Amino acid sequence: MNQPNLEKLVNKLRYNVKPRRKFRNPEGSEGRLLKFRKTLTALIKYERLELNYPRGDEARGYVDQLIFEAIRHGPMHKETMDMANFWIIEKQLVHKLFKVLVPRYQYYTTSFTKLHKAPNIYPIGHYERAILELRGNMYPSVEQYNPHERNLLHNLLLDAAKKEYRMEKYKEIANNIKQ
Amino acid sequence: MRSSFRSSGSSGWQHRKIGVSRCSRLCVSGLKLSAQRLLPSRCASTMSKVEARKRRSQLFDEEKQRQRSELGRIEKIEVTYKSVEDDVVMVMNRNISTPYDCARHISENVAKTAAIALVDGRVWDMHRPFTGKCELELVTMQSPKTGVVNYAFWRTCSMILGAVADSAFKDHVDVHLHSFPVPQIHSGSFIYDVFIDLPNWRPTDSELRAMSALFIKLTNQELLLERLEVPCDVALHMFQDNPFKSQQIPNIAKNSDNDRVTLYRLGDYVDISKGPMVSSSGLMGRVTVSAVHKLADGPVDGLYRFQGIALPKGILLNHFAFSILEKRAKKLNTAMWQPHIEGEMINVTASMN
Repeated sequence: MNQPNLEKLVNKLRYNVKPRRKFRNPEGSEGRLLKFRKTLTALIKYERLELNYPRGDEARGYVDQLIFEAIRHGPMHKETMDMANFWIIEKQLVHKLFKVLVPRYQYYTTSFTKLHKAPNIYPIGHYERAILELRGNMYPSVEQYNPHERNLLHNLLLDAAKKEYRMEKYKEIANNIKQ
Repeated sequence: MRSSFRSSGSSGWQHRKIGVSRCSRLCVSGLKLSAQRLLPSRCASTMSKVEARKRRSQLFDEEKQRQRSELGRIEKIEVTYKSVEDDVVMVMNRNISTPYDCARHISENVAKTAAIALVDGRVWDMHRPFTGKCELELVTMQSPKTGVVNYAFWRTCSMILGAVADSAFKDHVDVHLHSFPVPQIHSGSFIYDVFIDLPNWRPTDSELRAMSALFIKLTNQELLLERLEVPCDVALHMFQDNPFKSQQIPNIAKNSDNDRVTLYRLGDYVDISKGPMVSSSGLMGRVTVSAVHKLADGPVDGLYRFQGIALPKGILLNHFAFSILEKRAKKLNTAMWQPHIEGEMINVTASMN
């Protein structure tokens, strides 16, 4: 009964993991891992990738986990180094992992990666696409916010409607108290 | 009561020409004292509504032509358009070119979506000519940099509602547009006060729907809102058949700095407004004419308040949220003219919109 508490050994992924994983490979699980290895290396190298959604969705967890291990144990830990050597194909990127990414993500409380849905390519069409990126990269943001959102006409109207509804409720409550 | 509504069910009903019969009806019926008092004989013209609108539009055209011919030599000015990426310098004509012309030089899409212009940081109608060298920015309904664009939209909706009220009734019903107060978005509906010579009219749902359809017809035509400043006497001549507007016009002219009245035209419908208005009626997306209430404490008897709600084109709102807004717009909008002083002041503030 002396099983270690798994939650303390392995980082809990800080995003909602989808129950059904769809990334498949004809060479089985080994083929899958080799594919993820490529994605992971590319992500650490370029920090933002566009790829098919299932592959991006699943590779995300491996990246998060590797960075978490690197933060937790540092470069002197043999097992972590072995992991890094396996997952990162280009060896100079191992240095990037420990010297750039670890300081960047040390105090993060969120996931280290971000996954966006991307539009699919027109004539091929039926593949779901995604953009996978490391947080805190130097590129401009993928998401575009309208800085004037509160000023849009329907938002003003809805705000006014909400306010009026609340005032009516307050009046109702006040009347109930009086009676 | 026979159906007085042109677009309602009885479409086969012939329009009766107004003339002697209507005048005698007015004079004889004792109940309509107020109407009799309100409508001096000069206002009871023999023109049908379509003819009156056409006449007004024609006068507008003539005045525009006249002002154009007075310009003389065309001067060139530099207009710096500040887009998101960079500044573009355009050479335009002083007192002729408008921000809309600039927008058309840039692209069709910009010309279609731009609602209002900022010239040297000042709010400027899309169809108002430049008066000198300036910097130009364009504001759309989707990126309301200033809140003014929303108010301009609301004001334009009020004006179109007036056009709808003006054209919705058959010729034998006396309809005179009164005014629309300053746009108040927080009140939940845009409004237009109209005098209708029907003592206790309550619109049915289908009548309201027909009016909404008329409104949508106007928006689908994507008519431009032309702007023109005219001298007081021209405006008076134009609105001689409207007892309320011809009363308001001298007051408005007195309050403006150069004794002029600003008119806007949409299709063949002309109205007085201080502005600014958005560039075209094509900017309105979803529209409902929600209610018509009889005003009990209006400045004159027999005023009906037309209320409606509209959203800009391209703003998607689910039907539940829109139904909340619609329900709210059905309530009587109590936006008033704030009558500080009795009598004249009411008219002044009413027409300040």
